[in-house]
Parts: sequence; C-alpha cells; structure tokens
Amino acid sequence: MAFDEMKSSAGGVRAPYRAYENWLLSLPPDVLRRKHEEADMLFRRLGITFTVYGDQEGTERLIPFDTVPRIISASEWKHLSAGCCQRVRALNAFLKDLYHDQEILKAGIIPKQHVLGNAMFRPEMMGIDVARDVYTHIAGIDLVRTGENEFYVLEDNLRSPSGVSYMLENRAMMMRLFPDLFARHQVAPVDDYPDILIKNLRSVAPIKCKGDPNVVMMTPGYYNSAYFEHAFLAEQMGIELVEGRDMFVQDGLVWMRTTRGPKRVDVIYRRIDDEFMDPDAFNPDSALGVRGLLDVYRGGGVTLANAIGTGVADDKATYTYVPDMVKFYLGEEPILNNVPTWRLEKEDDRKYVLEHLSELVVKEVQGAGGYGMLVGPTSTKAKIEEFRKVILANPSNYIAQPTLALSTVPTLVDQGIAPRHVDLRPYVLAGETVTLVPGGLTRVALTEGSLVVNSSQGGGTKDTWVLENDPC
Amino acid sequence: MLSRTAEHLYWMSRYMERAENIARFLDVANRTAMSSPGNPDAFWRSVLSIAGGEKAFNMRYSQASAVNVVSYTVLDATNPSSIYAALRSTRENAHAVRSVIPNELWEATNATWLEVKSMDGPRLREQGLIAFCEWVRERSHLFRGIVDGVMLRDEPYHFLRLGTALERADNTARLIGVPLGGFSPGGAGSDPFGHTHWAVVLRSVSALKAYRTVYRDEPRQANALEMLIQKASMPRSLSSCLDKTMESLMALGPDLECTRMVGALQAKLHWSKMDELLSEGLKEFVAGFITVNNHISTQLHEDFLMSA
Repeated sequence: MAFDEMKSSAGGVRAPYRAYENWLLSLPPDVLRRKHEEADMLFRRLGITFTVYGDQEGTERLIPFDTVPRIISASEWKHLSAGCCQRVRALNAFLKDLYHDQEILKAGIIPKQHVLGNAMFRPEMMGIDVARDVYTHIAGIDLVRTGENEFYVLEDNLRSPSGVSYMLENRAMMMRLFPDLFARHQVAPVDDYPDILIKNLRSVAPIKCKGDPNVVMMTPGYYNSAYFEHAFLAEQMGIELVEGRDMFVQDGLVWMRTTRGPKRVDVIYRRIDDEFMDPDAFNPDSALGVRGLLDVYRGGGVTLANAIGTGVADDKATYTYVPDMVKFYLGEEPILNNVPTWRLEKEDDRKYVLEHLSELVVKEVQGAGGYGMLVGPTSTKAKIEEFRKVILANPSNYIAQPTLALSTVPTLVDQGIAPRHVDLRPYVLAGETVTLVPGGLTRVALTEGSLVVNSSQGGGTKDTWVLENDPC
Repeated sequence: MLSRTAEHLYWMSRYMERAENIARFLDVANRTAMSSPGNPDAFWRSVLSIAGGEKAFNMRYSQASAVNVVSYTVLDATNPSSIYAALRSTRENAHAVRSVIPNELWEATNATWLEVKSMDGPRLREQGLIAFCEWVRERSHLFRGIVDGVMLRDEPYHFLRLGTALERADNTARLIGVPLGGFSPGGAGSDPFGHTHWAVVLRSVSALKAYRTVYRDEPRQANALEMLIQKASMPRSLSSCLDKTMESLMALGPDLECTRMVGALQAKLHWSKMDELLSEGLKEFVAGFITVNNHISTQLHEDFLMSA
C-alpha cells in the first residue's frame, strides 16, 4: 500500500491537508469537475501546450492539469530544499573538477573509464574556466516519496530541464479557479522564479563582457515541444527569444541580427542540446546552432547556461556517485538519499537484476521522458524477455532500481477523487547563490496503479503548494 | 528587436488584414449575386481576382460557381489565399513572437484559429456565409483593437502597423481595378451599371455611408475613385494607407531607403490631380501601384535585415 500524502496518518488526514480537506468536504458536488473543464478551456485558449513528436493528429496537446493541489509542509520543504541545494553545489563542484584537475578520479572514487568513456563527456571543455564556476545554472531534481519521512532523489536533470512554466502557470490557474483556497492557506509564492533566474544569468556574464550583459533565451524554434515554455520564460524575464539563425559569430564574439543592426550577445540561456549548438564543433548537420560558437565560448566571449558537457553528471550511472560527491567536495553528509541502484556494467549487479527483472525498474543510462524503460511488476512476461535481450546486448547502458511505491495524492479522475502516484521536480537555480523557489512541478500518473508520470506518457500535473508555516 | 521578430510581426498583421479583406469581398459578392439573378458567377469570379489564386482555382474547377468559390476561398487548407490559410499564417506568426506581443493579442489570434480550424462545410452552411464573414471582420477588428488599445508604441507596434497598412493598400488597389458583373471600371462616360458597381465596391470597404456624407450624391466613378485613392480621411484609401506606413517608418528609420520610397509615392498620391494619376488609364494605375507597393515591401525586408 503506497503512502498517501493526504490520508496516510494514524489520526486520519495528515496535517498539511487538513484545511484543504475541510474545504473539499464543504464543496457542492461537481464544482471540481466544472473547474477542471474551465481550466482545460483556459489552457487551450492560452495555448499552453506541448508538441507530441511523431503524432499525426494536430500535434499540439494540453498536459492534463489536476485541480487538487499537492501540499508540502514548511518543515518538509526545509529538508527537501536544503538537500537539493546541497546536491547542486556538489554537482557543480564535480563538473569543475572533472573538466580541470580530476581529483575525484585520481582519488578513485569514480572509475576513470566510466567518466572519460561517457558519450556526454566533452573533452572540448577541459581546462576551460566558466563564470563563477557554475556549470549547471538550472537543475531539475526529481524527487519521490515513499513514506512520512522517506524522500529519495530519482534523478538529476542538469542539461536543460523543462516544466518550470507549468509550475508557474498551474499556480496562476489555481489562484484564478479557487481564490478562496488561497485565503485559507498560506501558500509560499513561486512567481519570483523568473526574477531570480535573470539575476543569476546576469551574474554569470563572460569575462569579455564589460557593462550590462545582454542575456538571451535560445530555442530550437516554435515547432519544439517545449516552445511554449521558452517563449514564456523569455517574456517573463524580458529578454529576446532567439534561434540559432538569429545569431552569428564575428571577431570572437556572438551577435544577433536586429532591426537596428548587429547586437552583441553575452549570456545564452539555451534550450538546445550540446550536439546541436555549433555545427563546426559538434553535429555538422545541425541547422539549429551557431557556427563558431564553441570557440567564442572557450575564449570567454559568451556564457552558455547550462554549460557544455553537464550531461556527463546527470546520466543514471553517474547518479549513483552523487552521494560520494557530496562527501568528497563539501565534506557533508548527503541530506537526501539516492534510490538504491544496480549498475548493470558490474557483474554481481547484472546477475541480480537479470534474476529479478519482474520486480525491478530498468532504465537506460541516458534515457529520458519515460522512454526505453522497463517497469517489471506491470510488464508482461513477453515484454520482460524482450527487454532482457536488449539489456544483454549492451549491459553498461542500463541501471536498475527497486520498484518504489511512490506516494499518492488525491486526484480527480473519471470515477471521482482517487489516489494517484506522483513525483516532484523542484528547480534549483545557481549563480551568485544556489537557491530554489518554494515549489516545483508535481507530475501525476493518471492511470490507476501506474508509476510513469511523464507527460509524454500521458501523465498530468498538479499545483505544488509549500505552506509558509506548519499547521499546529 | 530581432529582425526575425520584426518579420513575424509584419506578416502576422498582413495575414490578418488579408483574411479580413477576403471576407469583405466575399460578403459583398454574396449579397450582390443574390440580388442579380442574371449572371451571378461573374461576381464570384471577381472574388478570385482580388483574393488571388485564380490560376490554381481554374486548374481544379471548371466553373466559378458560388459553391466552388466559397469552398475554395473560405476553408480550403491547400489554397494559400483562403481565409483559412490566412488565419493559420496569422496564428503561426503570432506563435513565433508570443513572448513579444500582448497576451491578449496572442489569445485572440489563437482563439480565432481554433474556431476556424473547427469549422467545416456543413457548419459553414448552417451558420451562413454572411454571419461567417461578419465574424472574420470582427476578429480583425478585435486584433487591431488590442494592438491599438494596449501596445507600447515602440518597434513591435510599428511593424504590426506596417503589415496592416501595406496589405490594405494592396487590397484596395486590387478592388479599385476589378471588373465586376460585366462592368469594367475606368471607362469613360456613364455606364448604366456604374452606380451599382461603385456602390458595391464602396460597401465592401464599409465606405458607402461615408461616401454619401462626403459627396451627397449617388456613387459615381470619379468621386468613388477619388475617395478610394486620394481621400486621406478614408482609412482604407491608398492615401491613408501610405500615411500610416510613413508614420511608422518615420518612427523606425527616417533615413532608410524604404522610407524614401514611401515618401515619394505618398507625395505623388497627395499632390497629383486625379486626372494626372489616371492619365494612362485606371488599369495601368492600379498595376503600377501594386508593383511599387511590392517593391516597398521588399525594400523593407532589406532595410531591417529581414530574410524573405
């Protein structure tokens, strides 16, 4: 039986949900459903959509939004927030070390060939100094809960984590739909996220930038699945939303084409993968990037956020070493635990995993979006055998974890309100300081019993409330 | 501002204006055909020469009947000159610059697109062409209303205005020259169909009432042409379109080549006598104007580093 964040308590309803539950009980029937429909209509009108690749039908879809909030108490948040910040500090220290002296490899804490043979390791970054030693300026830390005091980090997203626009839009929607709820609860605000982000981005201007840095948001374009978010954040920060074709390199600097001639670009918040950033340095077929960008970057002419080469630190195999990084670089004990993980490149682990496939979750080391994974307990025999062959073909490409009983939160479904499994992605911002706004994106698996929360797999989202004070 | 942003803004308002103008003319053709039982197809064909896409139409249809023209110019997704396609392009361009334009403008544009996307033949018939054309006009009024009502008077605003003004000038010019139901405008003397013709044309740009206020007379060719070409107080006249273009260009780049070109054309339209303007014939005047108008648009792209 999974832990239910509303109901799993000896005394009935858990404290953070008490006021909400009272309100819910006082609600005339059908109000939630009507509000749900209203939200759908509003999101569609606002065009808050994501694009589904390979889908013939229209391709722009809404992410289902659930009107029941996920509520986190002040003390729970204090713990999570400290843990996430600690983790990001360690990960940034690791990236700096990895691309300079590689002390952690010399100390034998992480096997050399694991990192240096990793496809996401970028030798081009060796010896390059980045502003304030920040590599991952925006990190999404995926958390899951399995009990009253049991939180785990499921994975770190250090390249270009998406979804923060939903955190902000979900809150705006809830305030519009249920203003009275906000009068009954002291919910910590999240709307200063864009202000903190732009302040951080300005603080990491490259050495060649004198004066006020020009920060831009770089998108692959308006056909990208997360285009809405790119446009949204650019607008919120008041910066230009650029594509690769709007920029060019000249005299060791990056410029953008404007109606008043070329204008210098100092900081690029990019939502494009490393491989597509510069056809001269990486994928030569990329039409999304800027020719010569990497040279300017290496020469200190421009800052990229996040830095090139952060992917090496967020794959699911490196993940297993993050608690060691916390100890090695910060001399602290990890506040948040990892999910126990087996690495299939290790013989003992492999043996165990192959014998227990029907109980475990197996993931591709560099997979994302819920693709290329096996959830043993909900799979068929045939599927498991099929996956076994895939694993055996390239074992080091996989890790396995126990199937966690993710916590549930009440959710409005066809049959009424029922518990559904959730996870949580807070967004950690690093610049002058490492901070995060109180909240994040709660993703919910809408199908009964399902543990896959990804929007590309039919998951929905909830507004995430962090209470300002613990209820007595 | 990014050059690409300017380009999207410019085309966004051009396409919105185009959708409105196609709807305006469809509406008038529809009403006129209903009251001219003789040869209604002649009216429908003229819709094509204003909206464009006549060649492609002829390849697909043998007859310019009401049904054929309406299905081609209203909802045909494959016809780049349909209302459907114009609203789709408006929305696509808006989508690309949604971080720059007011939220209300994006929402209105998106809502317009979602509505026309859900429209099909049976629904259109049920609603009626008149109501549909009215709806398109209203959506365009809303679009301009938002631009006018809430936008900061800086670059994005002016690029939107340029798109509207240049597209409108092109449409009005086409409208002036189009033969309609057997009547060819520009001829000398008093054609018995002349009054009807110019009444129809003026009504299509919502200017018949204004005409009566100004001239206190039934529509006559010379007055109608003056109204549509030279009357700066008539917001859909060529003169007025050039004035608006000039205003925005003075704000964006007074020293640019495109500004000079507009100024030259504006001066010619303002200060020439109507006889001089039409000395080579109405058809030639219209063709010449459309060509220069196109050149201005091309020069605009060059001066502001836009790509097309």
